[in-house]
Order: sequence, then C-alpha cells, then structure tokens
Amino acid sequence: MTQKLGISAAVVVGLFGPVVHAQDVALRPDQSQMTFAVNGQSFTVQRDQDTAAVLTGELARTSRPCPDFCIQPMIVAEGVTPVAELELLDFLAGPVAAGNGLLIDARLPDWFAKGTLPAAVNVPFAALAADNPYQTDILRALGASGDGGTLDFSAARALVVYANGPWDEQGTRAIKHLIAAGYPPSKIHNYRGGVQAWAHLGLTLTQPAP
Amino acid sequence: MIRSVAALFVFAVVLCGYIVLRPAPSQVVPIPEQVAVTRAQTDSILAPTAAQEITQAVAGVVQAPERNTAPATAVQTDDSTMDQTAANVLAGLGLTVEPNPNAIKDDPMRQMTTGVLSNIGAITGERINGAGATPAAESPLELLVVRALKEGKSDAYIDTIINEAASAGDISVPRLLVTSDGRVDTAVLLSSIVTQATIAAGGAAPAVPDVPTGDGTGVEVRVVQRATETEQYRFYTVSRGDSLGAIAVKFYGDVNKYDLIYQANRQFLSSPDTIRVGQRLSIPTI
Repeated sequence: MTQKLGISAAVVVGLFGPVVHAQDVALRPDQSQMTFAVNGQSFTVQRDQDTAAVLTGELARTSRPCPDFCIQPMIVAEGVTPVAELELLDFLAGPVAAGNGLLIDARLPDWFAKGTLPAAVNVPFAALAADNPYQTDILRALGASGDGGTLDFSAARALVVYANGPWDEQGTRAIKHLIAAGYPPSKIHNYRGGVQAWAHLGLTLTQPAP
Repeated sequence: MIRSVAALFVFAVVLCGYIVLRPAPSQVVPIPEQVAVTRAQTDSILAPTAAQEITQAVAGVVQAPERNTAPATAVQTDDSTMDQTAANVLAGLGLTVEPNPNAIKDDPMRQMTTGVLSNIGAITGERINGAGATPAAESPLELLVVRALKEGKSDAYIDTIINEAASAGDISVPRLLVTSDGRVDTAVLLSSIVTQATIAAGGAAPAVPDVPTGDGTGVEVRVVQRATETEQYRFYTVSRGDSLGAIAVKFYGDVNKYDLIYQANRQFLSSPDTIRVGQRLSIPTI
C-alpha cells in the first residue's frame, strides 16, 4: 500500500513537476532568460511569465499628438544600423559585457527615472547637442580621445541608442547630434522600438537607482 | 483722376526709394559692438579671421566712440573665469580638480553633463572627471603656463613670456587679470593655481585677510554713523600694476570675488579689464 502511494506520487511529480517550473515565455526557443555582467554588476533579462499580461497606462497609448510626438524613421542616418530586441540582447551579452559597447537611453532624466532597459546609461539627447559647452567631456567618456575639434573616434564605443518608442524623437536627435560631433555612424545602432516595444514583449524593465 | 492716382503712385515709389536708400546715420553705431564681440572670441586669437580683420579695419576708419577704441590695454581678453583657467592648467599638469559645486548648480548644461558622466562611469567603472575638468581645448594661455610650470621655470620667467605673448596678441586672458598699466597679472594667475591645487588636495581655502589702511596703502575707510547703525565703507585707489583680481585677493582672499568690486564700481568700469591708476574703487563689505 505504502509502495503504491509512493509510485503514484512519483508519477504525479513526473507529469506535472517540469511543467510548473518551465518558462512559458522564453527569450528564444532555446533561451529562457539571459544573465550578463557589466563591470561586476549582474543584469538579468527575461520576459513576463503571465501569458495574459497586457500593457496599460502610458506604454499602451497609441495616439500621442504629432507634432511633437511623430513617427520616427527606421534609418536615422546613413550608416546607422537599426536593431530590434534580439540584436539588442546580443549587444548586451557581447560588446556591453565586454566593456566596449554602451546601451544609451537618450531620453531626458525624468523619463529615464520612470524605468529603463537593463544596463542602460542615461545620456539625454540635449547633453549631446553642439550647444552643450561640455559636449567633449561626454564624447571622451564614450571613448573618443584627443582635443575638441580633432577628436579621434577610432577607440570610441559601439552604441545602441533608444528612447520611448517609434513616436519619440529623442533617440533620433541623439543620433544626429552624435554624428554631427563626428561619431562614426558605423558605431551607432538605433533601437527604434524603444521602451514601448521592449515592454510590449514583457521584457525586463529596471528602475534606475535614484 | 487717373493722372492724380499715377502721380500719387510715383510719389509713393519715390518716398519708398528714399526711405530704403537714404544714408542712415545710425549704421555707424553697431560697428563698435562688433569690435567688442570679436575681441571676446578666443578661437580666433591665433589666426584672426578675415571678418575680424575687416571689422577692425572698419573700426579704424569709422572712429568708434572712445570707450571702445581706447581701452587701457592692448591685451586680448576673454570670458574665462579664474576657476576654469586654474583648473585647466592643473589638468594640463596631470592634476584633477573637482569642479566647484556652486558653478555646477548655476549651469544646467554642466549639471546635466556631470550627471551623464557619472552614469557612464557607474556602468564602465572608469573614473571620469566632472564636466569642465577636461576642457574642450586648453587655451594658448593655459598651454603656455602648463609648459613653463612643467619645465620648472621661475615666476619671473612666466611673467615675461606671458606678457610677451599677450602684447604680441598670441593669447587672451581673463579680464580680471589685466592690470592698470595694461599688463597681465601673472602673480594672481599663479597664486590662483596654487590656491585651487591646495583646496583640491584637501587644504583650507584662504581666509579673508586683514587689510592695512592708512597713508601709502591706497586704502581708506569711511565710517558713517546713522541713528541705528554704524556702516563702514572701504575705498581703494588703484596703483600701478594692480588688476581687479589682485584687488579681490587683497581684500577678500579670493580672486573670484573680483565681480563684487566690479559690480560696485560699474559706473566707472566699462569692463573688469579697464581699471586705471588713480581710480578710487568702492570695496563692498562682505
């Protein structure tokens, strides 16, 4: 009798156990989640496991007035590669983790504070504009070297730039400012989908430390 | 009827033509303004642009008002502050200086940039100096001072080379460093660099000095008694070799307070680089 109960328990666990623990919503068919480390800090990207989840609030809005919130192009400038979520995951696991790439949140700081992508750095588009007298300081922090006017971008980091979503000009402007300052377009990638597309796939959003 | 309309039309055309083409006496006035603007452009000091040469040539012909064409000095000046200049020299010597927190607070772009730099530093783990610590380009003045200090030259040598470069028009200097006899006050420049290095190394900022008064010092104190309070006014008579920066150090121990003196004497001073021997400046009490 005891033996029978034990067997049935094993059957029950065998049947339902793995189903309960598996990720229903994976990043890719063969990858449920991704963990990477940047300079000693660990980040995990996964998707919301609630298969009934829907977007609500700001990120669900469809019809922001244009202007000012107009549909943005996919190709912002010649040589700038557009990327989507999977390329962005590879970018995080590769260049960002290795220290030669940066994920740039180009929104103004009040947007950034409401939630952003893991391992993103807030570099507001306005700080990259030529009228910022300290623009060179930022370009150097991104990996450029030399004096103003004759900056050398050969060792500059690869960048993925994003903003709120396809209706938000902030990312487009940041990329244009970078190119105007001499940043090589081949080192810039545009994630046009932005926070909205990221959230729409249930991907991890983080709250930056205040 | 048609004739009178035609006559009126012709009159209107002639009137318009006269308004457009008449010699405008006011056109002469903006030129001194342009001269003032081009003077402040640091970028073009080593290689004056064609536009600058033209405006200067025009100014020579037109005879701008005296206050613009006859400054006390031929030294070219710019809007850089002492803090900035000293920090840049120290950066050139390989020392980093934390930016003045008050200067950051007053400058939203600088504040934003400092935030960006600390964001980037947090993720890359690299030590990044605050905004302004690494200037876009060191000015010729700063490069000159850095080179001389690196070579261990004496203060007298630095004074000579800076004044030679200034009179040749190769460098521009912060206005507060221009002395009453049109030279560059290198003593104040060098002492500001030392002061900033001391503060950066954790040392105390210089205290407000006691200023001797009386005959020969140029300092006068007037005490005004009112019903409820006694107020003390100080005056200083500019002597040879004084710069506004030096006077600020003399009375406040801080070169950056030159603006207090400048603002209190705006009726005599068109610019901080225009002090002259014998001028009696009011020194505000702080």
